[in-house]
Amino acid sequence: MLTKRLPTVIAISMGLLTLIGLLFSAPAINRITLTWGAILAAIALLFGVFNLFIVHIRRLLNERNLYSGVLIISMLLVFIGALADELGMDLVGGSTVNYLFQNVQLPLESALASLLAFFLLFAIVNLLRRRRSLKTVLFLLTVIFALIGSVLPRLSIIPESASSLIATISTVIDTVVVASGVRGLILGIALGTVMLSIRLLLGMERPYNK
Amino acid sequence: MSLQIVIAILLLLTMLLFLASRQIRLGRSNFRLRPLPAYEKLSGQVGRAVESGQKLHISLGQAGVTGAETATSIAATQFLSALAKDSCANNTPPIVTVGNGTLLPLAENQIRNAYDAADRLYQYQPNHAQFIAQTEDNFAFAAGVTSELMQNKVLSHVLAGRYGAEIGIIGEAANRQNIQQIIATDDPTALAIGTAVSENVIIGEELFAAGAYIKKEPSQIASLQVQDLLRWVIAITIVGVTIFQFVTQ
Repeated sequence: MLTKRLPTVIAISMGLLTLIGLLFSAPAINRITLTWGAILAAIALLFGVFNLFIVHIRRLLNERNLYSGVLIISMLLVFIGALADELGMDLVGGSTVNYLFQNVQLPLESALASLLAFFLLFAIVNLLRRRRSLKTVLFLLTVIFALIGSVLPRLSIIPESASSLIATISTVIDTVVVASGVRGLILGIALGTVMLSIRLLLGMERPYNK
Repeated sequence: MSLQIVIAILLLLTMLLFLASRQIRLGRSNFRLRPLPAYEKLSGQVGRAVESGQKLHISLGQAGVTGAETATSIAATQFLSALAKDSCANNTPPIVTVGNGTLLPLAENQIRNAYDAADRLYQYQPNHAQFIAQTEDNFAFAAGVTSELMQNKVLSHVLAGRYGAEIGIIGEAANRQNIQQIIATDDPTALAIGTAVSENVIIGEELFAAGAYIKKEPSQIASLQVQDLLRWVIAITIVGVTIFQFVTQ
């Protein structure tokens, strides 16, 4: 019984403490809760890295998974790099971790980010193939208008009246349709967040328990 | 003055929540959940995965439980809680991926509880949930999740929680593998992209209704009832203020 109730008691107490700190602008309470939160998040991240290592070392040993092998080697390389940085060893003419980040991770992530536009284009084409509804056509038209609206008005070959019309339509879509939709969405999310937070504070929602 | 208003609103909402919850428990409420196709599809996911000998993948997104986005992550764990219960009872635990360290113990705990609820705790092994990449590394997370989809026999997957534009990469990879997908997020960018890659999108506030739709607990349904009431109050206020300003100008 105690093991079942203790997490709830701790969660509600911490929730109320944070709420009091925020409502009454008590910097001391806010500092304490933020520090504890940051420490727990850092420990959780450390566990996350261990989890990543254990999962992939198992896959490497049990399933001979090549990708897991590459991941383990990469992890060890970065660890050695960080260790070298800490010991003041200059392996690459500066920070080894920074070097690896700038020359390996950053280009890979940038490449993936630039591919996103193509993924989206394929997704829209596939969407039109899968279901040709009014919603899909409207979606495609909005995308086309958003793209045209951002490029065409800047081209000198387009007559000024046409480019101003396109710019106006594009602005109306952006500032009226999109903005009102997003605001409605955010309002709904805020209501959901408030109600879920109240349930958490009252102990009605216990994701940490059975 | 504003402090008193905030406290009054919180107390009023708490009172309304208790009242609505009590009415539902006593069977006096005629509040009905409106049908959401994505939640209806969710119920058949585990059965199909077990029958086909394939797996179910659930990703809880990249938001943690120490910041403002905590509610989003908590709502996402409700998907895991419901799906893990069914799949662990058949000893086919889902593949769970997380993009934040703080979500890892939460996810692991849900899987352990699911095994316990099925009286199969002896079959539980730690590290069912997998940490992929920390919040800041959006594209590393997308690449990691995509790799899981490619390497495992996944029948369907649920992306619940906070995502960004990288959801397009995961979604498109799932489509190429013919994986059925359900996307539930509160991020406007991810929602726009999610709509293009999946037919089953749980939009914004619907994510917070997960508990009511999946578990059907009175307090969660009551919460939706209060939310609906608040929405009407806000909508009427906005329209009223607009008309007032229009008339007075």
